[in-house]
Amino acid sequence: MMLSRPYALAGAAFLACVPLVLPSYYVSVATQILIFSVLTMSIDVLAGFTGRTPLCFGAIFGTSAYVVLYTFSVFGWPWPLAMICGVLGASLLALLFAALAVRTSGVYFLLLTLALGLIVWGICLRWTPVTGGENGLRTELRQSLGLSARGLYACVALVVGVVTFAMWRFVRSPFGLTLRGIKEGEGRMASLGYDVPLHLTIAFTAAGFFAGIAGVLYAVFNDFVSPSTVQLAQSVSGLLMAIVGGIGTLFGGFVGAFVIIALEQAVSSVTERWPMVLGLTFIAIMIFAPEGVIGKARLLLTKSHNIDPDGVGR
Amino acid sequence: MPEAILALTDITVQFGALKAVNQVSLSLMAGERRAVLGPNGAGKTTLFNAITGAIFPNAGRVMWEGGEITRMSPQRRAHRGVARTFQITNLFGQLSVAENMRLAARGLSASKFALFGQDRLSAAQSAQVAAALAMSGLAGQEAVIVKTMSYGEQRQLEVAMALVGTPRLLLLDEPAAGLSPSERGRLAEIIRNLPRDLTLVLIEHDMDLALALVDSVTVMQNGQVIVEASPSEIRTNALVQDVYLGKPHEVRLSDAPTY
Amino acid sequence: MTKLLTNRRAFLAGTAALAMPNIVRAQEARPIKIGLMAPLTGVVAAGGKEIVEGFQMYWEQNNMTVAGRKVEITVEDDASNPDTALQKARRLVEQGNVDFLFGNLLANTGLAVANYVKGTGTPYFIPVIAADDLTQRARIPNVIRVAGYSASQTSRPLADWAFKQGYRKIATVSQDYTFGHEQCGGFAQTFTELGGKITDQFWHPLNTADYSPYLGQLANAGVDAVFAMETGADASRFITQYASFGLKGRIPLLGCMNATDQSVIRTMSNEAEGIVTCAHFAEGSKEPVTVKFVAEYEKRYQKMPSIYGFSHYSGAMWVAEALAKIGAKVEDRDLFLKTVLATELVGSPLGKIVKLDSYGNPIYDLSIRKVEKRADGKLWNVPFETYPQVSQFWKYTPETYMKQPPYSRNFQGIKA
Repeated sequence: MMLSRPYALAGAAFLACVPLVLPSYYVSVATQILIFSVLTMSIDVLAGFTGRTPLCFGAIFGTSAYVVLYTFSVFGWPWPLAMICGVLGASLLALLFAALAVRTSGVYFLLLTLALGLIVWGICLRWTPVTGGENGLRTELRQSLGLSARGLYACVALVVGVVTFAMWRFVRSPFGLTLRGIKEGEGRMASLGYDVPLHLTIAFTAAGFFAGIAGVLYAVFNDFVSPSTVQLAQSVSGLLMAIVGGIGTLFGGFVGAFVIIALEQAVSSVTERWPMVLGLTFIAIMIFAPEGVIGKARLLLTKSHNIDPDGVGR
Repeated sequence: MPEAILALTDITVQFGALKAVNQVSLSLMAGERRAVLGPNGAGKTTLFNAITGAIFPNAGRVMWEGGEITRMSPQRRAHRGVARTFQITNLFGQLSVAENMRLAARGLSASKFALFGQDRLSAAQSAQVAAALAMSGLAGQEAVIVKTMSYGEQRQLEVAMALVGTPRLLLLDEPAAGLSPSERGRLAEIIRNLPRDLTLVLIEHDMDLALALVDSVTVMQNGQVIVEASPSEIRTNALVQDVYLGKPHEVRLSDAPTY
Repeated sequence: MTKLLTNRRAFLAGTAALAMPNIVRAQEARPIKIGLMAPLTGVVAAGGKEIVEGFQMYWEQNNMTVAGRKVEITVEDDASNPDTALQKARRLVEQGNVDFLFGNLLANTGLAVANYVKGTGTPYFIPVIAADDLTQRARIPNVIRVAGYSASQTSRPLADWAFKQGYRKIATVSQDYTFGHEQCGGFAQTFTELGGKITDQFWHPLNTADYSPYLGQLANAGVDAVFAMETGADASRFITQYASFGLKGRIPLLGCMNATDQSVIRTMSNEAEGIVTCAHFAEGSKEPVTVKFVAEYEKRYQKMPSIYGFSHYSGAMWVAEALAKIGAKVEDRDLFLKTVLATELVGSPLGKIVKLDSYGNPIYDLSIRKVEKRADGKLWNVPFETYPQVSQFWKYTPETYMKQPPYSRNFQGIKA
């Protein structure tokens, strides 16, 4: 279930070295990958650990970005306060969504969260005086922080490191175990004394909190937000990243975000048919490694070394 | 005469036009072990579900330890010391025995809300888990992934999980269904050795197994109680012979879920 | 593919340079690098391809050189999505080290990129991005609308013309987004300030399939004319349904220039005939330069130029003329931008000299044009009346104009 400590340390060291070797543009791409890794992992907290697959996390992520840019540019609030508001906004939205959705499961949960996400998108598109309509909001937050591409990467990497650790602790905590229990059998959890909807609500809100942090980073990274950030495609692409990395692996988020964004970058400058290439890649992954890249790697490791795949023996 | 700890009064459960349970009353003393027997369709599991809270009766009352729990959710009943096992094994298959036990142990404690803490049990909880595992014959199997265990071991784990919260009422839903004769013997041994102060309701197809384990027997047919007696009386009761024991092989071989 | 033929050419040029090192080194600096962004995928991909065609056509006609310096074009797909546009702009500037950026189609993609270049100072030319504020209240000095127009600029003369036809009551139908609010606002404000009345304003979401609810109301509104602010597939659906509801010929139909752009009407027939619009460019113009341009474009791409192709052809020409004046010294950004602002566009397919106002938006002789059938049966826009020297500020001073809020659904500048 978990990567062991050497892997995690190696990964962290690798991420720390990225800006030292890459040219500035690729540092931006790496920054983006890190931000989307957090979004992807937040989706995985729900999809992989509670078994509820959400299609509204783009909306939660984007709402955070909207709140940051709006409070910073329109209210003129200091950036730390704006950022806190962004995370709070996303968490509250997630709490609201949770209250409406946690009593459903399976395809109903998927569709209900999809509809909730669409409502957010519709509001961002239509509430022009506040959201700027389809043109979105623009600020000079990043410029006012005076961050170079490398400086921003360093800040983002630091935040992502802390958030990743927090998410890891979250899914490995006693509470995280209850989520896995819910995924395996809700009826049993209830008879053991668990209030399943309450646990799902907490998990949903926490996932929204993490997605909100990703949204704050994205707001700073782009200095811009528009309905395309909260649209369905954003939620879907986050979910695809989670699936590509491996649902229920948490750290698969890094792999999924890397594969999708790097592929998008590489292919879109070669052919305008890049969406097709992405689609085919996704299909190939679904056929040959439906458990995702990390999931597949772990399976292969288990086969060759007979390692306990769930790491319970730790 | 001491007061009953579990008392069902005129319980009726209706599915459409069918009265699956019809005005059933039942009472158990503290520490009593009761078997509910009857042919397929007699209403045993429905009655059982009304006690666990999986369904709410259309009429009647369920009293437990002097308080009414008729329309109380299963998780709140759990907090009142009511535990159950499931007829169709309902374990967390992808998780290990230890993780299943941790979930069972924390169900009634606030530590389940530790969002970022270490996933370890308190000393007291650990002791409870160890005791429950020992009682169920699963000591030393903590690291095993549940779905890889044999069916018999899974039934044992069902019992262990029900025991870990030190319940005062244990409801066993056909614990021996689908087990081989040797596994049945082992399970019977585990149930027999449960603490004597634990009140126990057992639904079971296997007459011999059930009669060997309990103090009293309720026999149901068509949603109603037809006989309530001690095991030895049941063996000789003509009515029971008629509706139930007359065709022992058919009954004993049937492992299908009742409803 | 994305780097198109230009890179192959650049490669060939490079090989040639290897063969004749001395000659080349003596006379050539490094090539000027241009980043062209266009939506090659997504909802407006058709327009995006014409952006590339028009831009490409100019540079190929001029041997990919300006003032003796080679030009290298990198095309990136903005996917009709502002986040992608921003990412691609970053890539072109930070990785491609382009000297300047060009293109984009949707306002939100342009605004996202403009916000980015505000920080980098990279010159950015936007022949199609019409968002009013980019050359008004939120002007960015290094963003210039060469051969483009601001959204409300062209609908004002149309309102003036409509009033002169004796129309007094007009209803508007528009896509519900900023570009629509701005075009409608320009029309509604001018028309009501003249004394006309806007009886109704219908706003519908983008990608409306069925216009019957609006057409039913229009039929009974008792108006003298209808102004339609529609683009792309919405425009062709609206025009078709307007005709099939029997409104064509009964209530005169006016439109924004995009409603009867070649990109819309080239697949239509009778139903679009007679619609009146106002624009800087009209493919049916008799001006010799226009006739020549349209013929060449048609020969090259088997279709008449749309606003996207035309604007990027002319935009390229504009910037090239400015570069020629300063010996293609694109490295001196301030000089380059100043020169572009001061350059007058001569010899473009418009057939008239165009200059930029001090906010970086062109001042045009705008044409009132009508959709007619060409001899071969194809539809085109034929100009029949001219409004000379129309700036984005119409008849107001820039200061007065910019005091009023930007047009929105709630503010249409309507004078009661």
